[in-house]
Amino acid sequence: MMQVAFGLVAACLLLAALFSIGSKNLVHGVLWLGATLAMTAVLYLMLDAPFLAGIQLLLYVGGVMTLMVFGVMLTRRHADLAVLREQRRKSRGAFVAAALFGTLAGATVTTPGLDAPAAGSATTVELGRALLTEHLLAFEVVSVLLLGALIGSVVLARKRDFGATR
Amino acid sequence: MHWLLWSVVIITVLMTTTAWALWLERKLAARMGSRLGPTMVGRHGLLQPIADLLKLLQKEDILPEAADGALFNLAPILTAVFAIATVAVVPFGEGVIAADLDIGVLWVLAFGGLMVIPVWMAGWASNNKFALLGGMRAVAQAVSYEVPLVLASMVPVILAGSMSMTDIVHYQQQHSWIALWPTLPGLPAFLLFLLASLAESNRIPFDIPEAESELVAGVSTEYTGMKFGLFYMAEYIHTLVSSAIGAALFLGGWSGPFAPGLHWMLLKTLGLFVFIYVVRWTLLRFRQDQLMRLAWVWLVPMGLVLVFMAAVVVVWGGA
Repeated sequence: MMQVAFGLVAACLLLAALFSIGSKNLVHGVLWLGATLAMTAVLYLMLDAPFLAGIQLLLYVGGVMTLMVFGVMLTRRHADLAVLREQRRKSRGAFVAAALFGTLAGATVTTPGLDAPAAGSATTVELGRALLTEHLLAFEVVSVLLLGALIGSVVLARKRDFGATR
Repeated sequence: MHWLLWSVVIITVLMTTTAWALWLERKLAARMGSRLGPTMVGRHGLLQPIADLLKLLQKEDILPEAADGALFNLAPILTAVFAIATVAVVPFGEGVIAADLDIGVLWVLAFGGLMVIPVWMAGWASNNKFALLGGMRAVAQAVSYEVPLVLASMVPVILAGSMSMTDIVHYQQQHSWIALWPTLPGLPAFLLFLLASLAESNRIPFDIPEAESELVAGVSTEYTGMKFGLFYMAEYIHTLVSSAIGAALFLGGWSGPFAPGLHWMLLKTLGLFVFIYVVRWTLLRFRQDQLMRLAWVWLVPMGLVLVFMAAVVVVWGGA
């Protein structure tokens, strides 16, 4: 039962991802990406991680998608939002994708203990406690990294702003 | 099968309530403007929603020639689905809840945030300048007001130590309504939540995505018949659900003396709903830049301070 459900969800996810990179219309591509991200949230739900699924919906489908929509709308005229596609780069792209897939699949297969059943699903409270005690260092490093990215993007945007006003 | 039963009951009740919430709003709006409102169909116009529905169902379904057909049709469906999905975690009473999720608050926020995508989709797919402008405004507004909404909702979550709606109501039964005590993060957080959810459901003074005096009808300009009806219905459901969530998070949910819990929950929800509509028919519309300034300069810092205060109350005041 679970296997069939997983197969269905995974198939939908892959199809949405394919449409996302394959569609000539940029807006359709973004919306298919949204579908891909939503299907990922469903996968998280099936893996007994409802908190992660909620965050995925809130941040990626709700937030990142909205920002991408903004980006698409601000880039150029909407009438002819077509994606330029170059045939000769396809093989290079395929090679990189295959290499990435191989690395990830290899790491997954060779890591021991991944097929062991999980020790019960963690509640949101446990998750929060673990983040702020056991994994505090990783948590803080990630927040500093994100802060850096945030400040960096503001600096980059401001520089262009100053150029325009002066 | 208990959850399936409740889902069916709750969705049916919600649809019916939505129809008469519409009647309530029209009556209220009319009285505030010294008019009578619907009076012809049924006693006090009580059957007006049914007449409206029948009228909408008979209208011609027009698909603009230059529109993006698939997205144009998908948008109203998704809007309605996302609006109804938030109802799943609204607690109407002890155990009267479609899905008592561990992440209830997060679920509401996530689907509330998703609502903007079909709205923008409708604006883009219509291939109409006014609709597109409406869609753009909707996106800008949602991105801004999602942040204070999340921050305001975090106050009860931090105080109760849980994201489950039921747990938050239980916490309020043991202590007091979060809007009343602890007053300092509680009351301002409640007001912030109301403001931000007004903006989320595109109600005046935050209805710039529709702005009928500027944008014809904004994103719904090109929609006819029941597709327009779905947008309309989703908006009312969203307002109703926001009221219900506000009642559960800040006003003690189904707890109250004398009457069974369901009555109290509905009373509080309707109270907030009426408040939202009194605001709608009292205030004017904000300008886009005023709206953004309000969100980023005032509401977001205020939300951050309130979350910090809630943490202080929990660490030093509570246990």
